[in-house]
Amino acid sequence: MMEDSCDDEDFYDGGGDDDSDPDSVVISYDGLMDHDSDDFDDLNSSNLIYYHRSQNYAILNEDDIRQHQEESITQISTVLSISRVAASILLRQYNWSVSKVNDEWFADEEKVRKTVGLLENDTPLPADQELTCGICFENYPRDRMRAVACGHPFCVVCWKGYIGTSINDGPGCLMLHCPDPSCGAAVGHDMVNELASKDDKEKYNRYFLRSFIEDNRKTKWCPAPGCDYAVNFTVGGGNYDVTCHCSFSFCWNCVEEAHRPVDCGTVSKWIMKNSAESENMNWILANSKPCPKCKRPIEKNQGCMHITCTPPCKFEFCWLCLGAWSEHGERTGGFYACNRYEVAKQEGVYDEAEKRREMAKNSLERYTHYYERWATNQSSRQRAIENLHQMQTVHLEKLSDKQRQPESQLKFIIEAWQQIVECRRVLKWTYAYGFYLNEHEHAKKQFFEYLQGEAESGLERLHQCAEKEFQGYLNSEGPSLEFNEFRTKLAGLTSVTKNYFENLVRALENGLSDVDSHAACGRAGSSHNVGGSSGKGRGGKAKGSTSRSSSSKNMDDSGHWSCEYCTYANVRSSTVCEMCQRHR
Amino acid sequence: MASSNLPRRIIKETQRLLSEPAPGISASPAEENMRYFNVMILGPAQSPYEGGVFKLELFLPEEYPMAPPKVRFLTKIYHPNIDKLGRICLDILKDKWSPALQIRTVLLSIQALLSAPNPDDPLSEDVAKHWKANESEAVETAKEWTRLYATGE
Repeated sequence: MMEDSCDDEDFYDGGGDDDSDPDSVVISYDGLMDHDSDDFDDLNSSNLIYYHRSQNYAILNEDDIRQHQEESITQISTVLSISRVAASILLRQYNWSVSKVNDEWFADEEKVRKTVGLLENDTPLPADQELTCGICFENYPRDRMRAVACGHPFCVVCWKGYIGTSINDGPGCLMLHCPDPSCGAAVGHDMVNELASKDDKEKYNRYFLRSFIEDNRKTKWCPAPGCDYAVNFTVGGGNYDVTCHCSFSFCWNCVEEAHRPVDCGTVSKWIMKNSAESENMNWILANSKPCPKCKRPIEKNQGCMHITCTPPCKFEFCWLCLGAWSEHGERTGGFYACNRYEVAKQEGVYDEAEKRREMAKNSLERYTHYYERWATNQSSRQRAIENLHQMQTVHLEKLSDKQRQPESQLKFIIEAWQQIVECRRVLKWTYAYGFYLNEHEHAKKQFFEYLQGEAESGLERLHQCAEKEFQGYLNSEGPSLEFNEFRTKLAGLTSVTKNYFENLVRALENGLSDVDSHAACGRAGSSHNVGGSSGKGRGGKAKGSTSRSSSSKNMDDSGHWSCEYCTYANVRSSTVCEMCQRHR
Repeated sequence: MASSNLPRRIIKETQRLLSEPAPGISASPAEENMRYFNVMILGPAQSPYEGGVFKLELFLPEEYPMAPPKVRFLTKIYHPNIDKLGRICLDILKDKWSPALQIRTVLLSIQALLSAPNPDDPLSEDVAKHWKANESEAVETAKEWTRLYATGE
């Protein structure tokens, strides 16, 4: 009954190592609300990683794990006045919970002893000079025989075989008993150390270490491939995201990669859906185009560009431009030099509303929309991680050389990339969230898409600045005068983007509840509410979110315009959204 | 006996099986392979297998006694823990094996399994279902099979 409160102390009440381990300190951001000083002035980056409200976990390397394990064993061995071998057997049985062992032991020692096979008194080997081994039936002098506490004699050779077989059968060797079928006496670490081969001892020790992590409710291995760190997690606080020293972030609860602000249920649904559909989807995306009229996917299996959709549609169109074949001819520059793309888009071959209805009806297309964006952000994040790494290992030094700046002054670039990596992760999962958002909750959907759009366009600007503009300074001949401007701009974008994502994360975590009281508000209205409800109207101002509905047509100050429909941030020169092909 | 590389334990077990056989059980090694045993178990009294003589084969793998012997029925038998191929569902033949067990104890356990079928841990799903749904009818079938296949007629 008091198990939970005590359990949390298993690791800590022994050594207080939580405090003494400098590795376990990760930058934490001390609250989200008090950040309304000027975004651009606030270049102090100590609060960049905003999502660790408090550190409720510790990363353990192998030495830490051994140390914790030894501490638990020492504790039990001291408190119960039993050997360390017996203490490890007990702890193994009760999943390495010190408090559970204590509780059970003091409640009914006899029962516990019986359960794990710890006999109270050792029975010595029979007194005879020569004894018969119960396995090979040979007679041996007494000193060639061994027994655990029960005194059942077996010869050294048979013991070795017995222990070796058990170790090679897997982690069950940690709960080995006397070979006598009617005897439950436990075989402990001491026997293994004396009798197992070197390889087997190593295996046994590996199982022993693994058991401490795998059988323990509060520890898990980091799921990243090849990572040897484990995580000790203290439940409470609701945030399950954990970042390992190997830099992999995962959700403690479901062990999928970190997915805050989206909940585990949505994530598992989404992953399930992807695994069921992604292969189909990828194939369809790579090998087909939807018929421009009926939207059924078409695979081009012959050379000619003149496509005729199957009945009942029978629409004839050009594979290249997806325009009606009837309009192709000399006038368009010939059938096979099709330049109709822009023209077709501008003329709006189909009634927009009908097209939208068609799309809504087609669930595959809806799924594709979210899946593509989810997957794109995923790969974009992957590249950003590589960029970050390259930045840290190569580029920063070079830049420091070129621009005559100490590396310590270039931290803002690393911070920008860290922010990009984290934002791509959040953004990616918001597409899973969006997919499951109820179609009929229009206000919520609009509010969500608004926040997502703001965050996304902010991120695009940041990403672009960190990627493209940076190159100029990296490759310049000598120090650039504008480098300080670049610093200000990038740090500013980092900070602004961070704010957008905080808004987004917070709104999704409280289930978009802000929108309930403003359900009737339109898009222009809700844009004010965002600023108002988050306590900092400046996010909007800095980026010009209010200009969404103004004459500048969603243009922001870095020359992007975000698509009304899918919120993708497009470059100034394009007139058609790169993502969803809709007109500006 | 060509037993130069046969472990002492197997030789001793074999000798003891031949000199002091367990009641209702006989086991003798094959001429050409001392690890292969021809086994006969008499159907226990008061069981549906009473009056039957059941042939089994038993093989001691290289790892024996660290690994359990392999045993299967050669005579067809209607029993919820024995399948069509004669394979036996018995814990000591799997995870509950201990090197301190012997051929004799294994065969005695199989004999006991004939007296006490356990349809809750079935190997043969159909037979077990039959056993649970209508035990007396299943017992009749078992008796019938014993008469048909295990009486050497």
